[in-house]
Amino acid sequence: MKKLALSDDILMQVEKPARYIGNEVNIVKKDPSQVDIRVAMCFPDVYEIGMSHLGIQILYEKFNRREDVYCERVYSPWPDLSKIMKDQKIPLFALETQDPIKDFDFLGITLQYEMCYTNILQVLDLSQIPLLSKDRTDDDPIVMGGGPCTYNPEPIADFFDFFFIGEGEMSYEELYDLYKEMKLSGSYSRETFLRTVCKIPGIYVPSLYDVTYKEDGTILDFKPKYDDVPSKVRRVVLTNMDEGEYPMKPIVPFVKATQDRVVLEIQRGCIRGCRFCQAGMVYRPNREKSVELLKKYAKEMLKNTGHEEITLSSLSSSDYSELENLVNFLIDDCADEGLNISLPSLRIDAFSLDVMAKVQDIRKSSLTFAPEAGSQRMRNVINKGLTVDDILNGATMAFKGGWQKVKLYFMLGLPTETDEDMMAIPQLANEVAAAYYETVPKEQRLGKCQITMSTSFFVPKPFTPFQWAEMYEPGEYLRRAKVVNDTMKAQLNHKSLRYQWHQADVTVLEGVFARGDRKVSSAILYAYEHGALFDAWTDFFDLDLWKEAFEQCGISVPFYAYRKRELDEILPWDFIDVGVTKEFFIREWNNAMKESVTPNCKARCSGCGCKSYGGGICHAV
Amino acid sequence: MRYRVKFQKYGVMKFVGHLDIMRYFQKAFRRAALPIRYSEGFNPHQIMSFAAPLGVGITSDGEYMDVDMKEEVLSEDTLQKLDSVMVDGMKILEFRALNDSAKKAMTAVRAASYLLYYKEDIFLSKEDLQSKLAAFYGRPEILIIKMTKKSERELDLKPLIFSFEVVELPEVLREESAYSFGLKLCVSTGSTDNIKPELVMEHFHKSAGLEDVSFGIHRVDLYTFDDNEELISLGDVGYDVQ
Repeated sequence: MKKLALSDDILMQVEKPARYIGNEVNIVKKDPSQVDIRVAMCFPDVYEIGMSHLGIQILYEKFNRREDVYCERVYSPWPDLSKIMKDQKIPLFALETQDPIKDFDFLGITLQYEMCYTNILQVLDLSQIPLLSKDRTDDDPIVMGGGPCTYNPEPIADFFDFFFIGEGEMSYEELYDLYKEMKLSGSYSRETFLRTVCKIPGIYVPSLYDVTYKEDGTILDFKPKYDDVPSKVRRVVLTNMDEGEYPMKPIVPFVKATQDRVVLEIQRGCIRGCRFCQAGMVYRPNREKSVELLKKYAKEMLKNTGHEEITLSSLSSSDYSELENLVNFLIDDCADEGLNISLPSLRIDAFSLDVMAKVQDIRKSSLTFAPEAGSQRMRNVINKGLTVDDILNGATMAFKGGWQKVKLYFMLGLPTETDEDMMAIPQLANEVAAAYYETVPKEQRLGKCQITMSTSFFVPKPFTPFQWAEMYEPGEYLRRAKVVNDTMKAQLNHKSLRYQWHQADVTVLEGVFARGDRKVSSAILYAYEHGALFDAWTDFFDLDLWKEAFEQCGISVPFYAYRKRELDEILPWDFIDVGVTKEFFIREWNNAMKESVTPNCKARCSGCGCKSYGGGICHAV
Repeated sequence: MRYRVKFQKYGVMKFVGHLDIMRYFQKAFRRAALPIRYSEGFNPHQIMSFAAPLGVGITSDGEYMDVDMKEEVLSEDTLQKLDSVMVDGMKILEFRALNDSAKKAMTAVRAASYLLYYKEDIFLSKEDLQSKLAAFYGRPEILIIKMTKKSERELDLKPLIFSFEVVELPEVLREESAYSFGLKLCVSTGSTDNIKPELVMEHFHKSAGLEDVSFGIHRVDLYTFDDNEELISLGDVGYDVQ
């Protein structure tokens, strides 16, 4: 049996040692001496979170289909082990072979949220790879990044050799072929390799670009250092979803992962066009997988994993055209007595209520609505199509069906938000509660209904119509939460209402990172070197340390997080051609200010630019 | 129909804790498409119960769980099917039917035997170890203070240790061991008087003047009493369906 990278003594000292042993069901085993390229894919957070991520499983499957590549996995060691490894200089290792990452050819890191940035540095540091790209030699692995945060990679640009912008199913073949050819012919050097890959679609090599700044700190110019380096990097897209590789034998962890179930991706992209939502913009166009393929996948994956639960993954499952067909298949043809079907939040209608009644315990489960804003005016600003009638009709139907718990999700601090808009949040919740008492006769009620409102604070994201918007300071966010709370207490049905709001501190950091430029990287490095790690975990997040880091590195939080941008400012992420044009974002920003609604992609094409990809909803008849 | 499954747990699998092993087997039964019975209700779960949880870090040749099948299955065939979906380090050894009168593994288990081996030099020969052991186990009573959550009480270990001897180690354990010999211990296990091998070793080491030595633990088997109050392997209660 294989040797572990860590001794028994160390494994017995740390929490959940099974995070570090590999050997899970369905891992890929290869002889490393028989491949040309060794790749480690990393999710820079703890194992249980990382193992729940579909993207890495897709890439793991795709890369390992190549005979000349062996792709393994690595996650952030938990702080207990991290300290031991750092103290004893034990190099970070891949789970499958337990070999050190520093001996690999590529280290790929997926960037799912901004709060993982210090964990990237931890992974590099423990791997004994220089933290800054410029300090690496030909013997170090190539460090590549991908995922949603690459839509503004600038705050972490110094740590990566290149970023992959777009969908992982694309472009990797070319990349690996090129690497292999250079290695075999002896012409490889880090510099020549990066200089060549920058021409592959979707690949952005930060070191090949110069950024200059104006006196006020905004960008003066962002341009390639050499003539043959592309000035724009276009996002790459898999046009036909049925052609993408899909992991039919996903790895089944021993330690219970957050996503301990089969995940069936039914479509990519979203037709809705909510103006605050980055995912709704950067994954356009909406592309569905064919229902017959999904049925086949569902059966196979359940068989191969033994999971007792299956769920659907997409940005808006109700918009999937064959949803009824698929869900009925899962209930009728897949479900044995042990199978759980967990449905993502669906639009509440007769169909979804009927399905939910079949698959869950009504008394215990709750219905979820995401109106995002309380007033119709505000919902028009953000282009959220849901109306009060939709919510009340849905809730009434559900109350008739036996439900009595409803969750409502909102955002505070959206552009143009007034106190009236905030007060509309508990007023809406009150109306939902009133609908319960009107619908359900007293003798049929099992106590009160429970309406839970939850608010998060709005963070403007790149490549959305709100990318220029101002963001508020924590104090102002908390004032807004108080307006909601005070208004709630004055409602007739306040005893049936509950209110939860998010921490405002983390929001500030997200704000800085989301729209930051290259200068921000120095603060991330400072924070890591002074002990910041696992910032996404409330237990570890240390706001004071980050304040110190920003101060020491001359990073102005108001400049990066709160400031409203001018429409003609050069934004740090402008070099990316995401498919959606800047003209569209400006048009949508103006529509928002006019409180004017833009129809969804199925109703009418609004000319965002993504038709140029040649697939999906843009070309559906 | 109830069946008793016996399995091995080796290598890196010793770091997978008891709860995770339970989840692992639930999924394994589904992968093998075996007709295991589920409980009723909104969240049905497989009817499966383990004899005695194994501590993290311990390997084993004798782990047991009882399962309820919807129909009669053949021992060899079912064993093969379940074994074919195992990971490295897990091996199915027996799949035997139980009579209706057979007690559940969890209530039946009365003793467990372990092999204990030293991972580093303890500066003792086999003979030295034997005499240290004789000095400890030869006493008429071995009184210890057992700490519980609420109180502490005096306990005599002697009647709860069924045997304790120096033995030659099997090949598979020698890789990890500093010596070709080790200790074999059989102790009371189960719902009453559940004695962990670590506890006995702690007191043996104290008596032998061996502080802070690092040793490995391997469970050999679990036992119940037969009609004559003799210890028999928990697996021998069942019978093969052919």
